[in-house]
Amino acid sequence: MEDIKAYIESGILELYVLGDVTPEEKRQVEEMAAKHPAIKAELDEIERSMELYANANAVEPASDLRERILNSIVTNYGDDSTFDEQKQSPGARVAGITPAKVYNFYKYAFAACLVLLLVSVAALVSIYNRLQDSNNQIASLQLNNQHFANTVSLKDGELEVLQDASFKFLKLNGTANTPQSQVTVAWSPAKKKVWIDMRSLKMPANDAGHQYQLWALIGKKPVDLGVFDKTADSTDMKEMKSTAYADAFAVTLEPRGGSASPTMDKMMVIGKF
Amino acid sequence: MTKKRKISLSEEELVQALRNREKIAIEALYDMYSSSLYGVISRIIIDTPTAEDVLQETFVKIWHSFSAYSSEKGRLFTWMVNVARNLAIDKLRSKDFKNQNKNQELENNVTFIDEQRNTVYNPDLLGVKELVEKLKPEQRLILDLVYFKGYTHVEASDELGIPLGTIKTRLRMAIIALRKYFKED
Repeated sequence: MEDIKAYIESGILELYVLGDVTPEEKRQVEEMAAKHPAIKAELDEIERSMELYANANAVEPASDLRERILNSIVTNYGDDSTFDEQKQSPGARVAGITPAKVYNFYKYAFAACLVLLLVSVAALVSIYNRLQDSNNQIASLQLNNQHFANTVSLKDGELEVLQDASFKFLKLNGTANTPQSQVTVAWSPAKKKVWIDMRSLKMPANDAGHQYQLWALIGKKPVDLGVFDKTADSTDMKEMKSTAYADAFAVTLEPRGGSASPTMDKMMVIGKF
Repeated sequence: MTKKRKISLSEEELVQALRNREKIAIEALYDMYSSSLYGVISRIIIDTPTAEDVLQETFVKIWHSFSAYSSEKGRLFTWMVNVARNLAIDKLRSKDFKNQNKNQELENNVTFIDEQRNTVYNPDLLGVKELVEKLKPEQRLILDLVYFKGYTHVEASDELGIPLGTIKTRLRMAIIALRKYFKED
């Protein structure tokens, strides 16, 4: 009797009713129940209470389901041979697989698109960088090219002056204002051309408000031959306005842009033929 | 088929009619037990169309495998609810259902929720709340895990980190509390 009580209290009967036993335990419980009415009674109590509990938690299925289910049983009625094949409705099976495939297809398609996009962006960035490099190279080459062209045309001019026998060179020396100053002027009366050799220019640098102005003295009359600046990097020969006549050349310091007539007390250098 | 009155038979009559493969037996079976069985199925499987499929499979299986039931071994409902629970758990663990369920979440949330509203909770069960209060929370938790969520007591033990012996004791105490409650009724 003690054994039976312990068996009841072990909880195995509850698990049996809940279907949570091994086939071995199931057989054992059924044997015990057949042998001992107390166990059978206990089992019955448990079953009744679980049935009432299920009833207390019942959920009414949708009303159209009754007809559907009863029809499906009537359809199969007396045709047990086909039952196994229909146990899992083929419709549900197809419906289950098809969405899964679509889902996978979109997943992979999306991944492929993403990879393609990344590759494209990387390629675009690389090509854009190369284009930038090329453009920069072209710009710097053009700059060089222009620089060379300028230099060549200047050197051509200088060479022309130096090789031309009609040019006379005149050193203009400093006046009392700037005794150290010296300007070299090249003049061709035949070609009416006047150049200043900026390389040998010895003058104080002018400020932003003033410029040097070259004058030709024809008789006593000063004629404007243009303005120039003394800067640190003046290295070339500079062509001035033309004149066919000159008795002397002089340079004065004038307001920027030059004056109509020379400011005599700002005369820096003068030289006569 | 569309009669409003539900058919009800005693358990002995019903079992006899099912043995004789009488058509009226399956109608009576549906009317008497569909809501109790669906209560269990629909808690294991939340998705309504799938739960309805499982209810259908349950009745088909009960009808065709009725010879496997023996009234000496226990009550009819105990056998049927175990058929229902096993089909529901098989469905829940099948690969098709897992895939379907994912799609459900992505595409059908709105219709899914609307369909859920169609389930009608048994209206003559005003005692459920009172019943639930009879059980200690830990007893109710284990009972519902095993009875309504399809856990084995071993899985429940793993899930809750509680020794197997304690699980069994609590389960027994829960059912004893139920027995007391239903006796008082």
